[in-house]
Amino acid sequence: MTANPIAPVHDLLAASLRAWRVDGSVARGADGSLVLSTSGTTLAVSRGLPPFRWIVTVGARRRGVTSVAGLLRTVRRVVDPDHQPNRLRIAPAPLVLP
Amino acid sequence: MIPVCVLTGFLGSGKTTLLGRLVKSSDFRATAVIINEFGEIGLDHDLIETSDESFVELQTGCLCCTIRGDLVRTLADILRRRDDGAVPAFDRIVIETSGLADPAPILHALMSDDHLAARLTVAGVVTTVDAVNGADTLGRRQEAVKQVALADRLVLTKTDLVDQNPDALLARLAALNPTAPVLPATFGAIDPSRLFDAGVRDASGKSADGPAWLAEIAHHHDRAHDPNRHDERIACFALIRDRPIAAVALTLFLEVLSEHCGADLLRLKGIVDIAESPDRPAVIHGVQHVFHPPGFLDRWPSADRRSRMIFIVREIPRAFVEALLGAIEAEVQETAQPA
Repeated sequence: MTANPIAPVHDLLAASLRAWRVDGSVARGADGSLVLSTSGTTLAVSRGLPPFRWIVTVGARRRGVTSVAGLLRTVRRVVDPDHQPNRLRIAPAPLVLP
Repeated sequence: MIPVCVLTGFLGSGKTTLLGRLVKSSDFRATAVIINEFGEIGLDHDLIETSDESFVELQTGCLCCTIRGDLVRTLADILRRRDDGAVPAFDRIVIETSGLADPAPILHALMSDDHLAARLTVAGVVTTVDAVNGADTLGRRQEAVKQVALADRLVLTKTDLVDQNPDALLARLAALNPTAPVLPATFGAIDPSRLFDAGVRDASGKSADGPAWLAEIAHHHDRAHDPNRHDERIACFALIRDRPIAAVALTLFLEVLSEHCGADLLRLKGIVDIAESPDRPAVIHGVQHVFHPPGFLDRWPSADRRSRMIFIVREIPRAFVEALLGAIEAEVQETAQPA
């Protein structure tokens, strides 16, 4: 385990709100979880037990996610429900290199 | 593989003049030119006089939005006619876009179609910028900004009409796209070989542009925080990592970036020190959410073995990109450790 695994995610969630153009903030809760607040929603992100690395709590609902990618996807569905995700597409032809 | 170059630039920036000169050049023979004009009656194609070894195809409508499928069909058609001997056996294709076109969807079409990708290779984007009106156009039109941001080469046209070196314009271009060399052209005169060796992919198998733009990455990193007050929505920054990046971390990073910011990721190029491939760096190249599979160089091109990625983005905070890679690397590292 890294020394403080929640610290990189705090920075990431704060930067994500800016990238998604969602007004909001991220703060540390009294229990060590991260509390993300927007004008319409408040959710909490805390460490989970395996196999879940993170738990996202919205109201009474708790949802476990297994990765940073899953965490961002879950959080964005809550705070930016109109977002249409793109899927990484790999072109058929390889790069030709020197 | 036949290289395809996209020639773009805002209305009146000198694309057709440049193309007209190029197709008369002996270095530019055997070229198929596809001209896209916005409007029912095309004119530009009548202004291009070609040699016997080159020819011009005309498309109307806006390539980047309504007739992208038509571009694929047009390319497939001229390849078939080449195979049948119905047109000269060209060894290069140039697509001249309309002045309002967004080059990104055109690159997507070239990169994504299975049949075209087997025969064509993206040789790069060349963008013309008018030395007289370019600064004003960049201040008013986002189409022009995006054309510059996506370029592999910038051609400064109408330099004969300005009395002084357009320093302000050059500074804008450098801020928007520091990896693209700016080449002056007077009355469309320019050495074709300087234009069309621009892409990451080079069908000739000669030098790709890797070393040139990689050098710019390191250089740009030192001035990546320069304010660019005219083009707040589009920014360019470099991400440099001293330590190797695990392959799975890079994959996850690109997947999440595409998922959340694909439309705003105008261009990403980089050379990456993959942990599992220490002696053979990976070259990555993407336009929005579409990426080529990474290519692996035989060796590091210089003593600098850091991972270097350059991002040209629209309203994606640098902090997000840095935090995302950091969080994913931390997760991968943590997962790899025994419980």
